[in-house]
Amino acid sequence: MRELHTEEFIVNMGPQHPSTHGVCRLVLTMDGEKIVKIEPVIGYLHRAIEKVMENRTYMQCIPMMDRIEYVTSMSCEYVFSLAAERIAEMVIPERAEYLRVIMLELNRIASHLLFYGVTAMDIGALTPFLYGFRERELIVDLFEMTCGQRLTYNYIRIGGVSRDIPNGFEQKCRKALEIISKKLSDYEGLLNENPIWLKRTKGVAILPKELAIAYGVSGPNLRASGIQYDLRRNDPYSIYDRFDFEIPVRYNGDCFDRYLLRLDEIKQSIRIITQALDGLPEGDIKNKKSRQTFKAPAGETYARIENSRGELGVYLISDGGKKPLRVKTRGASFNHVQVLPHFGTDMLIADLVANFATLDIIMPEVDR
Amino acid sequence: MTRDELKAYIAERYSDFLKPLETGKYDPLYEVDVTKLVEVAHALKEDENLKFDFLCNLGGVDTGKHFEAVYNIASITNNLRLDFKVIMPYDQAEVESLQEIWPAINWYEREMWELYGINVKNHDNLTRFLLPEDWDQGYPMRKDWDAPDFKRKPEL
Amino acid sequence: MSYWPIATLEFAPLFSWLHEKLQATGLSETWVATVSYIVLGSIVFGVLSLVALYLVWWERKISAHVQQRFGPMRHGWHGWYQTIMDAIKLLEKEDVVIEKRDKIVFFWAPVICFVASFLAYVAIPWGDGLIVADLNIGILYIMAITTFTVISLLMAGWGSNNKYALLGGMRSAAQIVSYEVPMMASVLTIVLFVGSMSMVDIVKAQTGWVWNWYIFKFPFGPIAFITYIIAATAEANRVPFDIPEAEQELVAGYNVEYSGMKFAMFYMAEFINMFTVSAIATTLFLGGWNGFAFIPSWIWFLVKTLGVVLLLMLFRWTYPRLRVDQLMEFAWKFMIPVTFANLILASVIKYLGWYW
Repeated sequence: MRELHTEEFIVNMGPQHPSTHGVCRLVLTMDGEKIVKIEPVIGYLHRAIEKVMENRTYMQCIPMMDRIEYVTSMSCEYVFSLAAERIAEMVIPERAEYLRVIMLELNRIASHLLFYGVTAMDIGALTPFLYGFRERELIVDLFEMTCGQRLTYNYIRIGGVSRDIPNGFEQKCRKALEIISKKLSDYEGLLNENPIWLKRTKGVAILPKELAIAYGVSGPNLRASGIQYDLRRNDPYSIYDRFDFEIPVRYNGDCFDRYLLRLDEIKQSIRIITQALDGLPEGDIKNKKSRQTFKAPAGETYARIENSRGELGVYLISDGGKKPLRVKTRGASFNHVQVLPHFGTDMLIADLVANFATLDIIMPEVDR
Repeated sequence: MTRDELKAYIAERYSDFLKPLETGKYDPLYEVDVTKLVEVAHALKEDENLKFDFLCNLGGVDTGKHFEAVYNIASITNNLRLDFKVIMPYDQAEVESLQEIWPAINWYEREMWELYGINVKNHDNLTRFLLPEDWDQGYPMRKDWDAPDFKRKPEL
Repeated sequence: MSYWPIATLEFAPLFSWLHEKLQATGLSETWVATVSYIVLGSIVFGVLSLVALYLVWWERKISAHVQQRFGPMRHGWHGWYQTIMDAIKLLEKEDVVIEKRDKIVFFWAPVICFVASFLAYVAIPWGDGLIVADLNIGILYIMAITTFTVISLLMAGWGSNNKYALLGGMRSAAQIVSYEVPMMASVLTIVLFVGSMSMVDIVKAQTGWVWNWYIFKFPFGPIAFITYIIAATAEANRVPFDIPEAEQELVAGYNVEYSGMKFAMFYMAEFINMFTVSAIATTLFLGGWNGFAFIPSWIWFLVKTLGVVLLLMLFRWTYPRLRVDQLMEFAWKFMIPVTFANLILASVIKYLGWYW
């Protein structure tokens, strides 16, 4: 029988698409329904934040760092403050550390709830999106109570935090955590054993360990491939070494594991916040040297923290002046978009959509 | 190993390749000569006690006096972290590509080339990606780059 | 010969009055027949349009309450005339057409889809005696007509001159054709038992107590019902089989290039199709218009059909979507063997006389 002549054709999963998170263009070379090659084209969200930060004082840099990755703004502000504090060798008061941990973990839960909603929506289950956002409202209300903002907080300062928590925060926070842990069992019941969900995510887009390490994949994507590496344990910053929590790991590296791992992480974050609320001491919320005209001594350091996406890092070089000399930010999604062509081919488009969703890529981190 | 043990180990084995710098706080910071970059990277990756297999970050720097390229690496297997940098004068801004050693560095080198103009030898794909495709205004992150006062109109 | 349905008590006076009026005009028999059928057709068309509007509102409210929000609330009590407002809006939209489309095919695709969905209602019994034409091949006729949608989808995909629309059209045609077979086999199981393809006969075979309904006739009844519902969801292009309409997939589907009233025709045809397959499910499995005596039969029919529609809508807002090759695999490797085994089982039971 004669071989039918087929041709590969190029399809553009354009910058505006309902299921690319942010503006990312993927140029797909397809052979029928299978994807042969992916070429990510980024840069649609490049705002030159690093260049602008070279002309801003340290305090003015904090809201700019918020926009590097606006879903988990607290982490971005924190990593910059951590870098400056390490250079200046500042001691942070206890209460500020506890408040920072509470805010960071609340932000992690909010980000994972958003991941849950958006992933379910991309794979076709349209209702969990609203459930995830309903719970996220509880957390975002807490943030609004504290610092007035719902998405980009400008809360963590170099040397502490900007404001103390208001009265009623602790009860509201505990209530919110209780509701979220109850609803988590609802979410798991809705999707975890659903045969359609399992067919769409189990065994799909497996990320092998060696490829993950070679391409710098970090965070839940790395832990879902079997490597237990979490900066909160391996290189503890802030007061994470005082809390008792587990680092969940899964070994298959497919979409289903990446999805399950993030739900596990929500449970661990709830544990951490409960312990932090129990042990919250009284005291100052800012170091005495933290003020608008903060000047770091000359020095440079690379501060890295465990964001909800992976390793968020800031390489800060200070020359002793009021403005930083160089701020290089490293977002986890930069590496994840880079590794996508190397394991995301040879599958159908529906699998690519599931893959892209479970990698939890947020574009502002990639383009900055 | 703790950070001090790491510093001692490197001072003992690799002191002619990696010169410690005092300005680095927290993680050990070293300076590497441009010509020995690939050798050092191989050594750091293959040393049995170190095994630096994870590249965290590569950033270009323009200090006003010279260019630098700062590499931040980590070891997942041995739980170690290290930074090293390469200092280049303005007229000799060129580094070797390390993409066989750490494939993750591919896009970082591309970004460094695009924003600073530091050339990367043996790189397979030095094309624009953050800036628009028809960008011809130079290398923006350099200290002497001045944002031209213009308003771009789209070509119709 | 009466051209009007031999209606129940509520509608008999209306129909006999209309018949007398027509005969009083003194036209010949064929003209009376023609005008009777036209008026009857318009009545059915009117009822169906109301049903379609109502179903759109029903879907929006159900989806909203499943997602813990309210849905349309402004236009009328809980938004009951929201759909009318949307229809008016769609009527006044500009009909954007592509320059390079295939004009005839592009124009006729929504027309065929719309007309085919309405044509199926010739043989659907709305109540005791409320059927336009009691064809003795009733269910076969309905199955044949609902297959017209495949042609219209392919025409829509081709006429749009858009490779994504063509891919979407072909995928949905493949899906509908694949799921026709299990649907046919489930329907045949019931027809086997009744011995007749006429819709009225099928309903009449389920009179009496509730356990006369075919859904309760173990073991083949529930299996046939479940497979029928799954196949019907696929026929109506609903989640989990809504690849043709999914926005998150790359191909935007066959109706991507349609706007304004043409799009409204596709949209309404989808809801009418959903109602059709639910009506068939009611007639075959749930006893049609049978029910307690003091509630009119057409209310029973509507309640049961809307119950099945509610089931289909809940599927949409609960389940994720299947991938296109998984969908085909499910049809060919699971549904067809199961439905055919069920059919054989049912024929064995009927042959041995074991049915109750």
